[in-house]
Amino acid sequence: MRGRVLTTVIASVILIGLAGQAPAAEPELVLADSQSGANFQAYWQKYVIPSIKQSLGITVRYLVTSDAEQIQKAKAWPAGKGDVQILFPKSIATWVSSGVPLETLTPETVPNLSRIDPKFLKSDEGVDLQGKGALFWRTSYALIYNTASIKNPPKSWKEFYDRRAEFKGHIGMVRPDAKSSSGWRQRYVFLHAFLKEKMTRPITELQNDPAFKDAWAKLKDFTQYAKLPMPAEPPNLFEDFNAGDTWISLYAQDYALWSARQGTMPPTIKAVYPEEGADEIGTGYLAVPAGIPAEQKAAALRVVNYLLSDDQQIRLLTTMWQYPGTDITDQAPPIVWEIVPKLDVLMRTAIPRERIRKDIIDYIKANAKDLIP
Amino acid sequence: MRNAGARSEAIVTGTLVLPAAAAFIGLFCYPMFLTLVLSLRPEGTDAGWTLSHYVAFLTDPDGRAVVLLTFGLALAATVLSVILSVPVALALRRKLPGHRAFRVVVLVPLVVPGLIGALGLLIFWGPRGWFNLLLTQVLFLRPLVVTYTLPGLILFYVWLYFPYTCVTTLAALESLDPAIEEAGEVAGASRWQLLRHVLLPLATPGILAGSVLTFMAAFGAFSVPLVAGGNYRPLAVEIYKQIAVPIPPHWSGASAIAVVMGVVQVGFLALYMRAVRRLGGRR
Repeated sequence: MRGRVLTTVIASVILIGLAGQAPAAEPELVLADSQSGANFQAYWQKYVIPSIKQSLGITVRYLVTSDAEQIQKAKAWPAGKGDVQILFPKSIATWVSSGVPLETLTPETVPNLSRIDPKFLKSDEGVDLQGKGALFWRTSYALIYNTASIKNPPKSWKEFYDRRAEFKGHIGMVRPDAKSSSGWRQRYVFLHAFLKEKMTRPITELQNDPAFKDAWAKLKDFTQYAKLPMPAEPPNLFEDFNAGDTWISLYAQDYALWSARQGTMPPTIKAVYPEEGADEIGTGYLAVPAGIPAEQKAAALRVVNYLLSDDQQIRLLTTMWQYPGTDITDQAPPIVWEIVPKLDVLMRTAIPRERIRKDIIDYIKANAKDLIP
Repeated sequence: MRNAGARSEAIVTGTLVLPAAAAFIGLFCYPMFLTLVLSLRPEGTDAGWTLSHYVAFLTDPDGRAVVLLTFGLALAATVLSVILSVPVALALRRKLPGHRAFRVVVLVPLVVPGLIGALGLLIFWGPRGWFNLLLTQVLFLRPLVVTYTLPGLILFYVWLYFPYTCVTTLAALESLDPAIEEAGEVAGASRWQLLRHVLLPLATPGILAGSVLTFMAAFGAFSVPLVAGGNYRPLAVEIYKQIAVPIPPHWSGASAIAVVMGVVQVGFLALYMRAVRRLGGRR
């Protein structure tokens, strides 16, 4: 009897000791994504999430959501008990402006942050990011045109404007009050072509400038040549391309290329970059809410750092033709550049970020009615 | 003794009602109350009270136009759904060959997500969709512009919501005693007279119940007008726009429109039910 008790005690001590030495289980995290389209939602689930599990041992649950919904939920979180640990928002600017506290990311907590061009960490959509976001990817807009209808696409916005009668009723312009950022982007880029460095000025000042009034009048005139009614959201734009109603439109290059391969855009589409700029370079940022448990925060920061690693970043380019957030495009195999232009080509034509102002974006949205014929 | 029995019965009843009451309060009353409170807050703040969101929406001619458009769309969809449902239900009631499959097909719009259904309709009725291909390639007619037009949007609403009226009309017709119809036939009534004086009056409660469901669903329609509405954007899309477009979102503005929508919807429903009761009384 005494021997059995002794054995039990020894076994218990060994088990307790082993349990004490075993590594603590990694917390399970939730990644809320309102940035990715259908192409990248599949990519996250098939490649990225399993890869995080394999490399870091962290289980990540992937949640497709919207910024508005998540912000409202985050506002209702009890302090330190948030249940979403990593954000990949549609608009980091919306989150930073929302008042929901986000973790300040630094090279100490996320070492790969130092591989991102600092100007992308400074601001987005004209909002000061205050170190709350880590650039995961860059996207580019381009003038997407159907070669079946257009043999000689315009090379600049000025040329496009001058030749607008040629494309009457066939220019794809998403409604300016669309949820998709293409709604304001298409107008912003057009205005920029005629205003350039003047776009650094506040709208209160700019709207009284005769040059702005002229550019706005040109934009209003240009919209008369759009395919009507304007598509409510990008799926309608794509359908208009498929129907042959739309021949040309400013849209995201990666998604258009992917869609053509999926059969949801005509296979005959091509891209051209207007010389005054096609976009500011669209962005997708990762963020970590501040109001989450400490152990989950540490794991979330590790995941963010992993997502900025060379392996993950180069995969964006080689698998999905999406430009990485970190500066590693020199590591891409040459075949990639046969499909998409080099990032530096886009950077040369991209609208400088200081010319993308939130107040001008808001002005476009607020005056959407003016821009719907 | 009797008191003790009544008390225990009350406890059992209360225990049974409690989960439903809690669910009603938690899932309906609380969110509605929160929406109401938010609609009265200045935008972006948790303190103070204002009616400015209501004033802004209701004094804006566009706001009133949106309410009218929403009402018009719901009414048109309801009337057309009833007109379509009655013959379909009469045919299904006959249990012709293939009626089981058709009964399932009728329910398809209810089980297909609205957004997918809307995209499918856009493709089918689009300038190069099957409908126009039939017109141009087979019948050698001119193509018809359906998508992004008001009649097109009403057509899409009917596709989406007519199952409500169809199912209730069918249920009403199938619950009728066949002897009543036979009595009419024996009395020498023609098919039309049978329909006009026997079947339709008896099926009216089912038709009206379905029409109420259709009207309510069509009034709150979102996915179809968002994707297929073109420039016709009813209340639900307006609310969505307030949240999805501005940075930061206009939650208070959106809540005020949602409250207006709720009040208008309940108001219309009350009037409708009153009219239905009167109609029932006249019969």
